[in-house]
Amino acid sequence: MSIGQRIALLVVLAFLAIATLGGVAWYQFRLNAADVRIVTEGVVPSALASADLVARLKDVQLVTQTLVYAPDENETLQARNRLAAQQERLRESLELQLAGANSQTQQGLAAQAKETLGNYFHAIDETVQLKLAGQQEVAIAALFASVAQYQGELEQIIDTLRVEKNRTKDSAIAALKASMSKTLTIILLVTALAISLLALFGAVLYRQITHPVRDMQQMMSDIAGSQDFSRRVPVRRDDEIGRSIRAFNVMIGKIEESSALLRQKTNDIEAMLLNMPQGVLTVEPDKRVHPEYSAYLATILETEHIAGRNFIELVFAGSNLGADELAQIEAMADSCIGEDQMNFDFNAHLLVDEIQKTMPGGRVKILELNWSPIGDGAGNTARLMLCVRDVTELRKLAAEASEQRQELEMIGQILAVNQDKFHEFIVSAIKFIDESEILIRSHPLPDAGALVELFRNMHTIKGNARTYGLTRLTSIVHAAEQTYEELRKSRPGLVWDQQQLLGELAAVRAAVENYARINEVLLGRKGPGRQGSVERYLLVDKNQIRATLQQLESVNPNSLHELVAARDAVRHTLRLLGTESMEEILGSVIEGLPALAAELNKDAPQLKIRDNGYVLHAQAGGMLRNVFMHLIRNAVDHGIEPAAERLACGKRSAGEIRLDVEVSDEQLRLTLGDDGRGLALVRIREIAVRKGLIAPDARLDDAELAQLIFCPGFSTASKITEVSGRGVGMDAVQEFVQREGGHIRIVFTDQSEGAAFRPFAMQITLPAMLAEQLEGLALAPAMLAGDAPPPAPAVPLPVPGQAVPDRAPQAPIESSSEQGFKA
Amino acid sequence: MAQVLVVDDSSTVRNEVSEFLKSNGLTVSVAVDGRDGLAKLKSDAAIRLVVSDVNMPNMDGLTMAEKIRGELNNAAVNIIMLTTENSPAMKERGKAAGIKGWIVKPFNGPAVLATFKKLLA
Repeated sequence: MSIGQRIALLVVLAFLAIATLGGVAWYQFRLNAADVRIVTEGVVPSALASADLVARLKDVQLVTQTLVYAPDENETLQARNRLAAQQERLRESLELQLAGANSQTQQGLAAQAKETLGNYFHAIDETVQLKLAGQQEVAIAALFASVAQYQGELEQIIDTLRVEKNRTKDSAIAALKASMSKTLTIILLVTALAISLLALFGAVLYRQITHPVRDMQQMMSDIAGSQDFSRRVPVRRDDEIGRSIRAFNVMIGKIEESSALLRQKTNDIEAMLLNMPQGVLTVEPDKRVHPEYSAYLATILETEHIAGRNFIELVFAGSNLGADELAQIEAMADSCIGEDQMNFDFNAHLLVDEIQKTMPGGRVKILELNWSPIGDGAGNTARLMLCVRDVTELRKLAAEASEQRQELEMIGQILAVNQDKFHEFIVSAIKFIDESEILIRSHPLPDAGALVELFRNMHTIKGNARTYGLTRLTSIVHAAEQTYEELRKSRPGLVWDQQQLLGELAAVRAAVENYARINEVLLGRKGPGRQGSVERYLLVDKNQIRATLQQLESVNPNSLHELVAARDAVRHTLRLLGTESMEEILGSVIEGLPALAAELNKDAPQLKIRDNGYVLHAQAGGMLRNVFMHLIRNAVDHGIEPAAERLACGKRSAGEIRLDVEVSDEQLRLTLGDDGRGLALVRIREIAVRKGLIAPDARLDDAELAQLIFCPGFSTASKITEVSGRGVGMDAVQEFVQREGGHIRIVFTDQSEGAAFRPFAMQITLPAMLAEQLEGLALAPAMLAGDAPPPAPAVPLPVPGQAVPDRAPQAPIESSSEQGFKA
Repeated sequence: MAQVLVVDDSSTVRNEVSEFLKSNGLTVSVAVDGRDGLAKLKSDAAIRLVVSDVNMPNMDGLTMAEKIRGELNNAAVNIIMLTTENSPAMKERGKAAGIKGWIVKPFNGPAVLATFKKLLA
């Protein structure tokens, strides 16, 4: 049963109860109405009439006396007429009593009264006749005799009747009262019954309605309080409450879904904020930083104290912004947070997008700032979001790239000029600059002649620089030239300022020297061109430079990855300038090997160089040539046996010398070995003892013995040969190596400690910066072929705490030294 | 008859703003302070946008805005304040006076113009 039906039932029951009550009351009043009518219309008037009867009797008596005592005939006649009327009224009254008699007693009394009335009237008639007959005395006697007797009788009867009537009336009224009180009792009873029944039904229905509602409300409150949206209110009925519960359960289900979704989103956002490699914060209306910000922000700003801080102070403290700019940002924040979104549009230009911030350690960070409004859904800006990106590295790389770009351009320009001519240009430019400097210094005041000369000097340098296309120079020289020109024309406001002019000249000198430096250091073209050897330095392919420049042009300055790649590529290209392969360095040594071998009566040995793709900077070339010339001569002289001896040992007649070039652990390692007889340790000991380097009984292991050959003046050759003994011993070799920051040692390649001869290798280690890997970043081939640069790979987002790889992985080195930069 | 009323005691700002708006096709009327602004607004029913400085002699911009809403009973006109600084207290007062926007000087022409045109559309 539904609640509606229950309430309807209750209403119907109440209606029925009221109807019953009404019916009972109506019936009871109907019953009472008859009694009332009997009382009001019968008993009471009848009782009243019985009282009248007495009065009428008295009237008759009075008229009769009047008649009897009437003095004359006239009065007698009048009295007689009145008597007849009074008699009639009395009779009528009695008739009425007779008719209204409602009991045996009353009827009997009425009948008796009627009979007595007849006798009474008869006696009156007789008396009246006597009077009329003039017998007054007789009439008077009769009046007092028979008339009075009957009258007395009649009075008695009427009195009794009256009493009887009154008694009847009283009993009828009493009965009516009883009946009325019964009616009241019945109505009260019925009412009480109806109320009880209604109360009972009402209570039952009330419980049926309120209990489930209360249970539901309790359950709902529990769910709302516990936020446990997985719970459901049990449905036990199919009425309105049941349907409400079902609807509630559906709603809870939806809340459960959306709260799960919300939780997921919250988790997502938390994860993003925790892991995104960007500083993200939001600014609240009071300009404080919202407690939820990205974890990386702490890394960028180098503080953990972020939440709740004033964003101006947090972000801009120690920045390059002035108080006015900060005030503008603050006003901007005030003007747009909590206001219509248009305010952000109005004022967004006041928000700076890049700042330099000095960190507590003194390091300056360049921070890129990106602002956006967070709407509240009603068109207002609820908060400001600020993304902070540390672009220090990016800007540094961009600057490096631009510097390298300049350098590359300059290299390209230099390479386009014949070396001799370039040398001439530099020498002449420096000469002009020197002259100019002397001119300026010797003239503290303006001098027309000096200005003409100064102008001519600069003009000459500029002209030459233009001729050779050295564009990095022309604009600087042009500026100096312009100054002189304008001083010559005495332009107002321009004065001869020695310091300023010297500064300008210094800039010209620096620019010229920069070209000279690149030419000498990077390109290894010191001085005028030298016949023969010079061409070896001109190994740089112009296309290579053009391609590298192109790559620099196309690089996206906002991509760390691309910048790093470009910088490394360019750096690599630059580094390869002025490098030589080991084979090239040892060219003269290799060329001289057959002659050397012949001189020592040996078959010309083979020199096998394994350079692993490394080339060496020209600066080390001279030292290496010296060192290896000596070591290789030693190997041919002392190590490699004469052909016959070799053949006897089962070796090939010609010896083999190997040179390995490797780089590992930041060191360049050059290992020279041969397949000769090995290190003559016994001989070394003999010589060392003879030369007093060690005591005859000194206990030295093989390594210590081998080390002795580096002692000054030590020579293992039994006679000074043409070859080895040219005054340069192993001590000098060691010194050459040490001067370049390296060292040399002997490494045995077997385990036979104590043997007379032990195979060995000479190992030279040098700083790794002397070597470059030829095939590093594979940019050049594709660019050289004229292809579009390969698409930039997607940059993996660095995770905080994990360093960004600062260079692209290098391809394994397979290529030989022949590729790329050889003429 | 003008669409925009520019109220500023500085003739430089007044001219700059009004010339800028005029050159971009808006009709502009100017007033030198809040009192003047109220009078101009009363006499020209076509004004739909008031751009006002805050600090001015005789009557400041915020008071003028309050009087526009109160005395003139004009709830329709858009009021935008041109200011150098802002504070929560000013914003509160501004909000009560139905101020739509705050432009911090120096103003950015294109952004301001785009929004003005939207407000006048």
